[in-house]
Amino acid sequence: MPVSKKSILSLTFVLLFLTAYPLAAQDFVVPAFKGKVIDSNTGMPIDGASVVIDFKKSGTLTNKEGEFQVFIPNGEYVFKISHVGYKPYRGRVSIAGKDREMTISMEDITKQLEEVIVSSVSTRKDIQTPSLGVSILSIKGIKRLPTMMGEVDIMRSLQTLPGVSSVGEGANGLNIRGGNVDQNLIFIDNTPIFNPTHMFGLFSVFASDAIRELELYKGGVPARFGGRTASVLDIKMTEPNLEKFKMQGGIGLVSNRVMAEIPVIKEKLSVLVAGRASFNDFLFKWFAPDNIKSTRANFFDLATKVFYRPDKKNTFSFSSYFSRDYYRVDSLFSLENVIAKQTSFDYGHTNFALSWNHYFNTKTSLDVVGVVSDYKSKTSSVDTVNAIDLNNKVSYKNLKASIDYQPNEAHKINVGLSAVRYDISPGRLNEGVVSRIATVLLPDEQSWELAVHADDEFKVNKDFTIQYGLRYAQFLSIGPTAIRKYAEGQPPSDASVIGVENVAKGSVVKSYGGLEPRLTMKYSLSESSSLKFGYNRMQQFLQLLSNNTTPLPTARWTTANEYIKPQISDFLSLGYFKTYNENVWETSLEAYYRESKNILDYVSGSNLQLNPNIETQIIEGKGRAYGIELMLAKKKGELTGWVSYTFARSLQQTIGDFPQLQQINNGNWFPSNYDKPHNLNMVMNIQPSKHHSFSLTFAYNTGRPFSSPSGLYEVAGKKYPVYTSRNNDRISDYHRLDFSWTIYNPSMKDKRWEGSWVFTIYNLYGRQNAYSVFFKPYYQGVRPYELSVFASPFVSLTYNFKFL
Amino acid sequence: MKKFPIYFVLLILAVFACVNPIKDFVQVDAQSFLDIEADLNDQPGGSVVKLNMSSKSLQSGVMAPVAKAGVSVTDDQGVKVLFSETTNGNYTCPKDFKGVAGRSYQLNIQTKEGKVYQSSFEKMQDVPDIQQVVSQFEIKDNFGKQDQRRAGFNILVDFQDSPNEVNYYQWNWKHYEKITYCAFCDGGNYDFVKNQCNYNPPSGHLYRYVCDGNCWDISFNDDISIFSDTYVNGQRVVGKQVARAPYDDKTPYYFELEQRSITKTAYTFFLSLANVIQNSGTFFDIPAETRFSLNIKSTSNPDEKILGVFNVYSVKKRIFYIDRTKGVPSNEFPLYKIIPGETFTCDFPCKSTVSCFEGPTRTKIAPVGWVQ
Repeated sequence: MPVSKKSILSLTFVLLFLTAYPLAAQDFVVPAFKGKVIDSNTGMPIDGASVVIDFKKSGTLTNKEGEFQVFIPNGEYVFKISHVGYKPYRGRVSIAGKDREMTISMEDITKQLEEVIVSSVSTRKDIQTPSLGVSILSIKGIKRLPTMMGEVDIMRSLQTLPGVSSVGEGANGLNIRGGNVDQNLIFIDNTPIFNPTHMFGLFSVFASDAIRELELYKGGVPARFGGRTASVLDIKMTEPNLEKFKMQGGIGLVSNRVMAEIPVIKEKLSVLVAGRASFNDFLFKWFAPDNIKSTRANFFDLATKVFYRPDKKNTFSFSSYFSRDYYRVDSLFSLENVIAKQTSFDYGHTNFALSWNHYFNTKTSLDVVGVVSDYKSKTSSVDTVNAIDLNNKVSYKNLKASIDYQPNEAHKINVGLSAVRYDISPGRLNEGVVSRIATVLLPDEQSWELAVHADDEFKVNKDFTIQYGLRYAQFLSIGPTAIRKYAEGQPPSDASVIGVENVAKGSVVKSYGGLEPRLTMKYSLSESSSLKFGYNRMQQFLQLLSNNTTPLPTARWTTANEYIKPQISDFLSLGYFKTYNENVWETSLEAYYRESKNILDYVSGSNLQLNPNIETQIIEGKGRAYGIELMLAKKKGELTGWVSYTFARSLQQTIGDFPQLQQINNGNWFPSNYDKPHNLNMVMNIQPSKHHSFSLTFAYNTGRPFSSPSGLYEVAGKKYPVYTSRNNDRISDYHRLDFSWTIYNPSMKDKRWEGSWVFTIYNLYGRQNAYSVFFKPYYQGVRPYELSVFASPFVSLTYNFKFL
Repeated sequence: MKKFPIYFVLLILAVFACVNPIKDFVQVDAQSFLDIEADLNDQPGGSVVKLNMSSKSLQSGVMAPVAKAGVSVTDDQGVKVLFSETTNGNYTCPKDFKGVAGRSYQLNIQTKEGKVYQSSFEKMQDVPDIQQVVSQFEIKDNFGKQDQRRAGFNILVDFQDSPNEVNYYQWNWKHYEKITYCAFCDGGNYDFVKNQCNYNPPSGHLYRYVCDGNCWDISFNDDISIFSDTYVNGQRVVGKQVARAPYDDKTPYYFELEQRSITKTAYTFFLSLANVIQNSGTFFDIPAETRFSLNIKSTSNPDEKILGVFNVYSVKKRIFYIDRTKGVPSNEFPLYKIIPGETFTCDFPCKSTVSCFEGPTRTKIAPVGWVQ
């Protein structure tokens, strides 16, 4: 096929050059360019396709037989054939005295496999399924988006979706539909992720090569998931190829990656290994001033998966996931009231999951999964006399089983059981370390989260489908522990303690339980449009204790207990979906409303560090979030992408049981740190040929709230701002444009080794977006300053390879 | 964890991030509150109470003094000491009065409008001696070569913490620097009647006036330096940095260091100030808030929000000189302060010297322990 193998840029150049010379008809017979246009799949002729030579210098349409004929003088021409529903075809033709004939086959894009970055399940599987608020992201698509410093980043890519945001660039976690970062349940092959970022929030923890796809449930969470109140991010690792060895990887500014799929026993057993490691130290060495040069900042992730299919009815897989970060920094303080010169931070996940899938018959299958996961963090300083060594750990074990049963066309039933065991070691300072700094051992926390669920997707008739489910979760906090008792009518504090009750090992300290109904309904208005409704209730027993703008990776997790009640959230949503032109275009409108209770806030001047009586530092409040999300997506063709607009609010109210002493913001509702009402996202990907793709992403949102002072007062001759209300002002609006250009296989030869280059500019026009606003003394008063994280365009180049 | 190595986050971000002043900032709220700055200590005549209304503006912190109030302190034995107003809104204890460690005190205020304020009883804790002071030369390379903050001497102290109770400490320092010039006037006209420079349109020519006698400039710590013995109870605390002296000369640097033992309430108050000013502007800021009515409440209107704290503390002082030649690498030179202008001279009877006027930042009285 005479496909132009040059880039579109050089093509344009040639065209400009040619058109500069007027080609007048001469006396001799003008040769003809004849062609036949057919459908690449069916071979059927395409009627009415437009044929344009040299940008409309002359043009025609194909006839019923798909044929066309144009008369053009000698020379070299570029032509383009296009027809609705087909991918445009570009080619070059050279006319030298005689007629030229060719057959052109065009690709039907409505039958094209989607390679889009994201799709709501509604259209991807079928607009007619009842799922609502669910997005699937393909890693292949994500890889085409512009990246920050060349790192393919799931957390950043998710933020191009409506309803997904964060407190700012470099924030440690996502806020989904007005939820806090600890309200997202993040799973990678069934194992939980407690801290989704490396380098205190700069990069996602997931090694992109090992990932097949991600499902994000912003609402309409099926009954099989539970334990967090805002969303579920379910990340699936690639199942290694059972037939053929494959390898891929990349070299980037921040990290190097490699992934291999190794078949061990053909068609039965294969192994996947994927790793990523940073070598940031060189960044510090090259670009940093002298004293940052001694900073050490490194991370790695390693994912492995062993896939075993002994027969057609059984599959086993064993996945593991490790992540680790290490920093060593010069700093005067690491912990409050600890004297240290240099501090190291070390944290990461160690996750394992074993799963067994058994197919009884075409209607019934069984899934059993066992998970063991640890998230540990360590803060240390080896200073001779004031050495510190602080360790935190969350240990998670889960055993779950579920059965899928499809008795007939109308029902899809899923029932299951799950047991989670949490063992939290909230803080052990200087255990067995010789130091002037005291040993502080916070008591361990043990608990169980037991759940049963049943869910049925019932197709009532052609137009109406209902998915109804119920989950019951029982939470048990278990001894040994010592519970402080406080005087009645007084808030828990060191001053109101009246005694301590010891609870023996294995005894139940406190239990909470509740039903979580889940419901989604779909009503088809036509073949291409549907109306959906969803309701779900979620309970959360595990929470992150942090009053920082974005939580530290060393922040403490805690489970519900005598004093901390589980969070409960009720979520309602309504959606309208429509596709056009055989699923090439999709529009959607979703509205949601969420109410939560028992969300944590903290007393004024709270001290969370190594505090054994955390109940004295917290206040429980209410949350409310609502929004409307509009999206228009083009899912197939040369140009794909989407535009979305979201109006979203997220509000909090904290009164506490003792309003006089505890209430925040005078007990009034206030916007949460991540309340950003207006959001606009645009993602565009153009792939003019197999060898190039260009992507542009644009993001705009209202600035997030901050507390703005209402005056000044004086202490010891110095001025300090007076804060009277929480989050009463906003930082400046955020907007950013990124660009990326991917060149696939630049050698253009079909070899087993295929390389590609990704060139990215992050923050193309160098906007200094504010992350936070704060006040510092300035002459007779104070002056506002803003901190910008990525304040200038950042250019990076990454090399990726595939060995197939 | 509350306090994070801000320094580190700044380091990481130093490569990419930036901090800019906001020029078009609009203040969204303006309110004024009673601000009570009440210090009670074990220094004779050293206890003072300052009453002001806080400023509604963020640019000019002009506070309105609350004058003609009745201010007194009562101890746990019922002994009442009256404070007298020295200047508008400033109230001082009798010259021979000093607080005693181990005793508790309560502050009472009645404004001329009849509003009554009362503090809780605050116990004065005994403060240990500063056992050792060490200075260490250190370069901070995140500052440019011409930045005063780059090279300096860290001042570290050692002291013995008391094992009996939870202790809270605070350090403040004063530095005296002998000066040659007492006034700098653009255009060169000093008004010896008003004792200030005459206003002149900027001429670009600065004249400096020599002081007519000994004169010292006084500078104070900018940062709040506090510490709690939570993790070191009863230990000898070693290497606690309490100050930093600039490397702007090789001459000995006069230092007057104060170690205070403060109450838990005062510690909470100063920590909240530090969080607002010193520990802000990072990724991990905690919500900015002001702690109102920590230990002083209005008895006439319990809902009234009051700024400030009744700060009861005992003090130990230490005066010393920092040897600014010790521990300095041979390739590091002081960043000398350049004194601008041209010395003003004229013939008798014309006056060419300016007096040294006493004030919070200037004195003609040689500080204790001053060595010529």
